[in-house]
Amino acid sequence: MNIKVQIQGDTLNVGGVKELSAANANAFRDQVRGSLADRLKNIDIDLSQTMFLDSCGLGALISLHKTACTRNGAVRLLNPTPPVQQILELTRLHRIFEIVKK
Amino acid sequence: MSESPGRSWRGIALRLSLACDLAEVLPAIRAVRGFLAEQGLGEKELAACELALAEACNNAINYASDAARTKPVEVEAICSTAGIELLVNDHTPGFDWPKRVELPEVESERGRGLFLIQSLMDSSEYFRGCQENLLRLRKNRLPGADGAAAAVLSSEEVSRRLAESEQMISDMAEELSSCYESLSAIFRYSAEQGKTISLQDFSRRLLSDLLRIAAADWFVLRLVPKEQARLVVFTASEAALDLEPLDLPDPVRTADSAEVRSGTNRVDIWFDHQKPLAATDPLALAKPDSLGLVHPFYFGDTLIGTLTLGKTVSRTPFTAAQTNVVHTFADFLAIQIVNARFQEEQVNSLLVARDLQIAKNIQRSLLLKTLPQLPGFGLAGYCESARQVGGDFYDVIKLSDNSLLLIIADVMGKGIPAAMFAAILRSLLRALPELTSQPSALLARVNRLLFDELSDVDMFITAQLVYVDVRERRLITASAGHCPLLLAVANDSLVKTLSPEGMPLGILPDTTFTDESAVLSKNCRVLLYTDGLTEARNRQGDLFGQERLIEWLRQSPLSQRTAEELKENLVAELTQFQANTSLKDDQTFLIMAE
Repeated sequence: MNIKVQIQGDTLNVGGVKELSAANANAFRDQVRGSLADRLKNIDIDLSQTMFLDSCGLGALISLHKTACTRNGAVRLLNPTPPVQQILELTRLHRIFEIVKK
Repeated sequence: MSESPGRSWRGIALRLSLACDLAEVLPAIRAVRGFLAEQGLGEKELAACELALAEACNNAINYASDAARTKPVEVEAICSTAGIELLVNDHTPGFDWPKRVELPEVESERGRGLFLIQSLMDSSEYFRGCQENLLRLRKNRLPGADGAAAAVLSSEEVSRRLAESEQMISDMAEELSSCYESLSAIFRYSAEQGKTISLQDFSRRLLSDLLRIAAADWFVLRLVPKEQARLVVFTASEAALDLEPLDLPDPVRTADSAEVRSGTNRVDIWFDHQKPLAATDPLALAKPDSLGLVHPFYFGDTLIGTLTLGKTVSRTPFTAAQTNVVHTFADFLAIQIVNARFQEEQVNSLLVARDLQIAKNIQRSLLLKTLPQLPGFGLAGYCESARQVGGDFYDVIKLSDNSLLLIIADVMGKGIPAAMFAAILRSLLRALPELTSQPSALLARVNRLLFDELSDVDMFITAQLVYVDVRERRLITASAGHCPLLLAVANDSLVKTLSPEGMPLGILPDTTFTDESAVLSKNCRVLLYTDGLTEARNRQGDLFGQERLIEWLRQSPLSQRTAEELKENLVAELTQFQANTSLKDDQTFLIMAE
């Protein structure tokens, strides 16, 4: 899938996520993990262009969260769109993800 | 993915059919989103519908059985002023839809789909079917929620919406009137049930009304007769549709008949010019160029029959309202048919029980309460009916102080007719006193008298008459195809079997019988019996047999017992032999002992 990754210090920046659904969630997760060099511990995911997120997409985000946790890092979600923000709140996942609005 | 815009009575609808592939989900829900946006839904409602529908489709695809992977997932979005209805038809094994879904542990990667659906929608209902299920999601529309959009509606838009509303009202009125018609028809027919008309007439009238309500031209109602694997036409709208029975084969895949496929696969089958019946389908041959519906109806898991409704004149397919009426009528009819069959069985079993009771009463009434006795000789008789009463009886006619006639007979047949013939035979024998000392002549006479009646009903009687004179110490016996007479002689421990020739009564009109006589020696015992005794079986299936009976009788003079005691002894012997078995045939015997 077409995502952009960038390394900044010990953080992997992930962007260009248009949608995160049952059809691509596993591919997204595997691709991010594949880009996660050993020395990286945090993952910042830009959700500002993400127009659709379903429960499988949530599953992928949680999976990456666990990966980051094993490295004593965290997943931060950047600028989620209103519908995505709503889903995160509805499922109370804002409790484990740091949601950052810039 | 294929899509077709359509109209439903409930509003404007979009129907989509997507292949069983997760990649199809997003394009499909985008199409739904676009459609709902056209209906003026706000962003929030759109997002909610989009996500709930995606979750439903994901489940439908993820849980589809391997066999169902070729089948599409069908999605329908219906939009009315009151709200949005989303329907998803899946081919999964289905599951119990939880009333309330809780969120999983926050670290869990799965298990949020149903929660999202329930949270985003105002109602969710899951209808489980056979190999397919229907999820119905509803979201109410808040009045004025998209007020901004309403304010800028063009006059064209207003008249378009007005036309839509009118259409909706007219569709609803049609639905309502159909409901009314089916309800009133059902009340009317319910009131008629139990009156004189047959189930066939009842069905024909009900279905004729259905034709009118559903605007159809013809019907065929087939039922599965009891214990048969066939669909037999029970009633049809015209004689040309009184088609040959259809076997319900196994396997069913290759069946040309839509009725057979519908009945065995438990599915409605629709046919029209685009999806016609097979060319060899009897319906297609009888009613070419029809469109219509085959609907199977069941009682539990049992196929009761199929109802086919067709149109030859009109090209318009059945509306949703008409389809509902067809289903309601078919279900109502199924209940009536099952009820009628149940009642019939009840009545039949009552009749059989009554018949048996009457026969038993007749048979009992033929037996003497006390047997006449002769100087120095005792007599005892025994007659035990099997459950399915036959026509066994014995009789003793006293002729003088020293003589009497012993009679034993077995009418071949069951129930009332057998008992009636037993009664007639007994009366005839008693009505011909001039012949009582000549058993063969008496048998020939009653055979002539009874022959026509017996042969009319294919029945016959075996009988044995024994004239006994104790002063002369002799007996004369004649037999009409009956078991041999057994005579035990005390002194030489021998049992004589007397079986003079003779056909059973009712076989030939003019037949002759032979008399055979024997001396009544000191302490002799005479035994007359029916084949229920020798054909009695034990649990292992062995016959009681004549040998065992002869052996029992051979030993009997040694015991110095009376006739009554001998009777008890033989009954005990029989009872022991047949322990834990059920009586298959009447058992009757008559014993005389000095």
